[in-house]
Amino acid sequence: MRPGGRSRLRRYRQAWVRHAILLAWTFFIVFPLYWMLSTSFKDAGEWVSWPPHWYPHEFTIHNYRQIFTFSALGEELSRDATEQAFSIWKALGDSLLICSVASFLALVLGVFLAYAISRFAVGGSKFRHIILTIRMVPPIVIAIPILMYYAIMIPFTTELLFGARITLFDTYFGLGALYVATTLPFVIWMMLSFIDEVPFTLEHAARMMGAGRMYTLRRVVLPLVASGLVVTYLFVFILNWSEFLLALTLTHPEVTTLPVLLNKFQSASEGRLYGPQAAIGTVITIPVVVLGVLIQKHLIKGFSFGMIRR
Amino acid sequence: MAEIVLRDLVKHFGSAVAVAGVHLQIEDGEFLIMVGPSGCGKTTTLNMISGLETPTSGEIFIGDQVVNDLEPGERGLGMVFQDLALFPHMTVFENIAFGLRVKKTEEAEVERRVRAAADAMHIGALLDKRPSECSGGEAQRVALARTIVNDPSVFLMDEPLSSLDAKLRLDMRTELKHLHHRLRATFVYVTHDQAEAMTMADRIVVMEGGRIEQVGAPLEIYRRPASRFVAGFFGVPTMNFLEGEVAAGAGDGLEFRSTRVVQPLSASTPAAVAGSAATLGVRAEHVRLAPSDDGAGRVTLTEPLGDETLVFFEFGGSAPLVAKVDPDSPLGPGDPVAFDFDRDWCHLFDPESGARLN
Repeated sequence: MRPGGRSRLRRYRQAWVRHAILLAWTFFIVFPLYWMLSTSFKDAGEWVSWPPHWYPHEFTIHNYRQIFTFSALGEELSRDATEQAFSIWKALGDSLLICSVASFLALVLGVFLAYAISRFAVGGSKFRHIILTIRMVPPIVIAIPILMYYAIMIPFTTELLFGARITLFDTYFGLGALYVATTLPFVIWMMLSFIDEVPFTLEHAARMMGAGRMYTLRRVVLPLVASGLVVTYLFVFILNWSEFLLALTLTHPEVTTLPVLLNKFQSASEGRLYGPQAAIGTVITIPVVVLGVLIQKHLIKGFSFGMIRR
Repeated sequence: MAEIVLRDLVKHFGSAVAVAGVHLQIEDGEFLIMVGPSGCGKTTTLNMISGLETPTSGEIFIGDQVVNDLEPGERGLGMVFQDLALFPHMTVFENIAFGLRVKKTEEAEVERRVRAAADAMHIGALLDKRPSECSGGEAQRVALARTIVNDPSVFLMDEPLSSLDAKLRLDMRTELKHLHHRLRATFVYVTHDQAEAMTMADRIVVMEGGRIEQVGAPLEIYRRPASRFVAGFFGVPTMNFLEGEVAAGAGDGLEFRSTRVVQPLSASTPAAVAGSAATLGVRAEHVRLAPSDDGAGRVTLTEPLGDETLVFFEFGGSAPLVAKVDPDSPLGPGDPVAFDFDRDWCHLFDPESGARLN
């Protein structure tokens, strides 16, 4: 055999091995998602049957009907747990409200901060990197101290000072404010990479024609980073949408986000209701997957901007 | 009145001195070009006039008003940038209309003035396009129209032609000169290209190291450079320089002596220079060459330019010299030549400071 032929054979074999590994890995990643989707359409008897049912033998949308009822969360206590209604409307509403508003506020604040850092080097030349280190702190580190503030110190202090107990624990504001704070570094980092790309002579030109800072920002800079604004908003929204630890620690029972609701089905009081749980999991995942696919290309662009700076 | 006066203008960036005390009066309606190598402070000076940079010290007058504390938009100036700075997300129309809309001009008036400016720059057909769809020359005209439409009394231009190809650059030079004649506005133009400065300016300001080296009409600067730097910066090819000393000559005049060169100097050379070391500068067109078997020089290279030919020759000095000769000259590499300089066009400079001596 010619040497060229042998090397071609080797390449062919390498490609095979590579694809086999990637396929196995893909299967490993996708299988739980498939199992969740499949379980969400299974009847109660099929959830934990042995041997496992690889697909729903008796296809049902009962789980979805259960989670989309309009009864309040955990209101009807039935002896048969599967008949119990676990409405996700409240949690869905809470999640949507907190995530969309907090992401929007973080975006607005972050854009101004990023602009200031990009154009005036606010905080010094290393500040942009320092900001990102805030995210290195694991949420668990701040969860308990924040809980102390929200549940004890702030109510106690306000009562002492104003005679009224103001608590941030289990409020939209309390959780939302924390989401703004924790996602702000991401917004700044991502928007910096976009704003840095806008040539400052454009702003000089606008100023020469009499435009003020805000006018220039609104008419020149922001329109040029519009796609960056959308990507950043979606990215931060997804982060908040799937946040669990802070929501679990800082809310109950008034405010409930979807990840927290999802966890309830695994507890001793409610039992192991794999069907509704899988249905909620599917409902939560779909927007994230859709958004993720939509912004994938921009995400890579947004992050790599920072890496290959001039 | 759009007379501009710069009084003791200084700009520091941290510890670096960008502009070190510039004193300049720019007349109303003048086409003034600031020229110099990168980092000489010309763009910083322009930016201080525009208001985009704040002077560390000194004053800027426009008319008889000190404008140091005025915002760029309040100074009544128009500026064309090196990268043109057209807004990529707006159409040509919106670009030109930007300044008018900032001032909340009535929309009918905006429409009328944008069309007038576009017609003046021959870009009426481009109004609905984006800047990215325009060619380099068209984008240049859009940038000019965007400035003209605001009717500024002073136009500031920061190397606006540097992004164009050579042919277009020549065309735009002519066009800018026409524009200046038509508008009768004050033009302050920054470039590092001495040819641009020579062809367009009423007056040239040569800058180096944050200071003004010389101010004068183009021919004055070419013919009587105030320093060795100016002499070397203007003219193609670069002026020939020889190191040596000035001494009393055979007659009652002075002469310049260097390795293998003894050059009589014109009668107007000040006597005080005698006995001092000097750098002799002479342009290629003032070097006379003649084929001669016992001449001191030997041709190393010729560059025919069409209307004339450049001849580079060695003569035993530290660097070869260059002369401009008739294109039909038979000289070629290796030919021995005799040479001398036109004594009326010999420039003497101080070897230390570079200042002109004669």
